[in-house]
This record gives sequence, structure tokens and C-alpha cells, in this order.
Amino acid sequence: MKVRTVGYFFKQAFKSMWRNGWMGVAAVTTVAITLLIVGIFTLLVINADFIATDLESDVEIIAYMDVEASRSEVLEVEEQIQAIRGVTEVKLVTKEEGLEILNKKFGQDYDLLSSLGGVNPLPDLYRVKADSPENVEPVAKTLERVAHVDKVDYGQDVIDKLFAVIRWVRLIGAGLVLLLGLGAIFLVATTIRLTVFARRKEIQIMKYIGATDWFIRWPFFIEGMVLGFIGAMLAGVVLYFTYDFLVTNIRFSLTFIPLISDMGLIMKILGSLLVAGTFVGALGSLISVRRFLQV
Amino acid sequence: MIQLLNVSKIYPNKVQALNDLTVKIDRGEFVFLVGPSGAGKSTFIKLLIREELPTKGQILVGGKSILRLRKSEVAKLRRNIGIVFQDFRLLTDRTVFENVAFAMEVLEHSKKEIRARVPSVLEMVGLDGKGEYFPHQLSGGEQQRVAIARAIVNGPRLLIADEPTGNLDPETSWEIMELLNDINRRGTTVLMATHARSIVNKMRKRVIALEQGRVVRDEEEGGYGYES
Repeated sequence: MKVRTVGYFFKQAFKSMWRNGWMGVAAVTTVAITLLIVGIFTLLVINADFIATDLESDVEIIAYMDVEASRSEVLEVEEQIQAIRGVTEVKLVTKEEGLEILNKKFGQDYDLLSSLGGVNPLPDLYRVKADSPENVEPVAKTLERVAHVDKVDYGQDVIDKLFAVIRWVRLIGAGLVLLLGLGAIFLVATTIRLTVFARRKEIQIMKYIGATDWFIRWPFFIEGMVLGFIGAMLAGVVLYFTYDFLVTNIRFSLTFIPLISDMGLIMKILGSLLVAGTFVGALGSLISVRRFLQV
Repeated sequence: MIQLLNVSKIYPNKVQALNDLTVKIDRGEFVFLVGPSGAGKSTFIKLLIREELPTKGQILVGGKSILRLRKSEVAKLRRNIGIVFQDFRLLTDRTVFENVAFAMEVLEHSKKEIRARVPSVLEMVGLDGKGEYFPHQLSGGEQQRVAIARAIVNGPRLLIADEPTGNLDPETSWEIMELLNDINRRGTTVLMATHARSIVNKMRKRVIALEQGRVVRDEEEGGYGYES
């Protein structure tokens, strides 16, 4: 195949895109919307995963002691807790320290104790760390049976819920993407079919003159791929700027939500969208070219 | 040039278009293919350009069998055959020049080659200076000349004309015949399917008459031979 032939293919492809006009716009828009949703769900899932892992690696079990238990009784169980299998770190936070922490949260000049009537209502507590996320639950269960322990609290149920949500997001995302993807392929196929139809006379003449099948097919193929590529570009641009806006704004207003701001990863996602868009376009035109271009 | 050996063609709808046909056409010949509608003329042409395959028999073009060809070889075969139709089949949104140039573009000739070759072919078919016209600005005869120019621009060794004068008045038909004769004299084999009695009778060329898929007559310097 010669270089000028490639030029000829592109010229033909763009010519018929121009001629198809609104049909092409519809195809591009569908591809763009599909890929935008793919992108949104991908970012949603990887961010949720990221947040969940972040929380998971930092799971802390808190054992609240009886408010009535004396300091010496509290200190007695520390060794016992240390001996539980899977425990790596035990730290006592006395009721005085707890109050101090609260005080700090409310502001320096605020005297919490006096507004509570001089009685510290907080219990002593142990902050316990497990060596791995899987050990969090067994450790917590054992802690509940330790003397003077009133209540055990850990974040596992929150994390379990988060993972359940992620699972659903994935499922819904996959379903939505599948449906929209089929729609996009169908619209590209329809657009290409219109092109084939508009040029059927030309195609027939080409066949009689002795053009090879691929010489006839390439312009349609390119048209489909360009439609898909443009759609992907649109989706990519919208996605990039929206996400960029979210990251910069959330970082200041919602500091406790850690969003991924790794540009390398974002670029990888955008690159995949471009590949996916071109692929959808190629697939759409392949279907039409096969069915309506019996060369 | 062309050899059909015991060729039969039965279409899927059970219609027998050709029945044990044996025909030989030599290089440089001018041959009329005549016969009533449904005699098998169209099928004959379709077999030669590999649009259809025979049910039985062998077909040789240029000494080679064309029965088992890959798709790319079919394209190659067609590059050696020019075809002209009754209804011209021009691209109406392109100029005369572009219509002829199209045939060269499809075979990946360079712009330079196209610019050099197309005007000389247009001159040869008598369309000198009409390159920038669109088909609808031309008469029927002129449009057929464009189609002929497109068919011969790549220098095929065989020119097939399927009722090329069917849509033209007698006088214009004669001009087209003179052009085809001219092309034949330059060395291209011409095969023309036709119903035009007066043309066949006057040209005194070889006539192959088909009826119900068989050759009923094959004579040098023949006439149309049907009363109707």
C-alpha cells in the first residue's frame, strides 16, 4: 500500500463524515457519553478502593473500660491484652488524656470539665492495633471477654459496608457500560451503513475496475475509527477537567476524603478511553462493512 | 484470450442460463454476442469478470483458469478487463476528468500519471476540452464516451460492452461503434452484447448467437440473423 493511498483513504473518510453530518454527531456523542460513564465509574471504583484500603490498613480497635474500674484495675489488664494473638500495639489513653484531647478539639480557651460540672464522664480506654486486617475481628472478640472491658469498637463494619458499595458500583457500572457500549457500536454501524449506501455506485464501479477489497474497505474503517476516536477525546477532556476540579476543591473542603491525584494513573485511564473509543468505532464499521459491503 | 469449455451455469433458483457452452475468442477479435433476452448473454459476461462462477466447465482468460482465484486475484483479473454498461454508470457528483481519473486512483496511480494520461484518453474518445463538465451537462452519447474512457484508461486487453448503445439514438450509436472499432484496431479485444440489429448487420464482425444457453450460430462477418 502506498503512502498517497493512505492519504486518499483519509480524504474519503473525512468527506463522507462531512456528508453524513448529524448522524456522525449522534455516533460521536454516544461514544462520548459511553466512555464518560466508563471513566466516571472507573474513577469512582479506584477511589473507593483507595479509600477503603487506606482505612483498612489503619484499623484500630478501641476497648472502653468500665467507668467504675479503678486505675490499678485498668492497668492490670494491659499485659493480658498484650498477650492476645495478633496484637502489635497497646496504648492506654486515660480519662484525663481523653478529656484533654476533647478540650483541644473544642478550642484552647474552653474549659470542658467545668461545663460538665467538674465530673469527667469519659472512661479509660486502650487503643489496640492488630498485625493484619483479618485479625481485627478475632482480636476484638477476645478483647470483649477481658475483665473490666465495657465495650469494644472497631471500624470493620464500616469497611465491610464500603466494600459492599464498591461491589455494587462495579456491577452497575459494568451493566451500564455494556448497554451503552452496544448502543455506541450500533450507532457507528448505522452511520457507516449510510456511508456505504451513499457510495454504493462508487463501490460497484471500484469493484469492476479491479480495486482490492481492502482498498474499498479502508475508508469506511477509518471513518468508524475516527468517529470513535473523536468521541473518546470528548469524553477524555470532560472527564479530565471535571476530575481535576473535584480533586483541587475536595482537598481543601473535605480533607478526610483522600482522592487519587496521581496524574500518571489519570493519563493511563484517558489513554485507555482513547483506545476503547477507536476500538468501538472499528467494531461498528466492521459490522457494517461486512454486512453491507459485499465485496 | 478467452476460452469457455463445456460451461454450464445453473442459478440457485434452478434457472439454467448456460448449457454446455464452448467458445473461443482470440486476441484482437471484435465479437458481437447476440440473442433474445434470457439467452445467457449477461451470464456469459458475468462469468468472464468472475461475478459468477460456472456450475460446470472450465474458463480460461489469457491462458489461465479463473475458476479458483483468491479475492486479490479476482481484482487483478478485472484490471485487465474494461467494462461499459448500457446505463453508463458515471459518478454524477464528479466531473468528466474526475470520473476517468477515479479508475486510475483506485489502482493507485500517482497524480502525475493521472494528469498525463486522462487528457489523452479523453481526446481519443472525442471529449477534448470537456474535462470540467459534469455528466448531466453532457448528451447520452458523450456520457457513454466518458464511460468508455474510464474503461480503457488503465489499458485493459479486453473491453466488454453490455448493450452500450441501448440508450442511444441510431446516429449516436454509430459514433460509439466507430469508437469501439477504433479501440479494437489499436489491439484491444472487444466483446459486445447487443440487440442492435442494424449495427451487427453493418459491421460485419464475428457474431456469436446464443439461445437458451447454447451457441446456435458462430460465424465470421456474420449478421444479426433474427427476424422480428
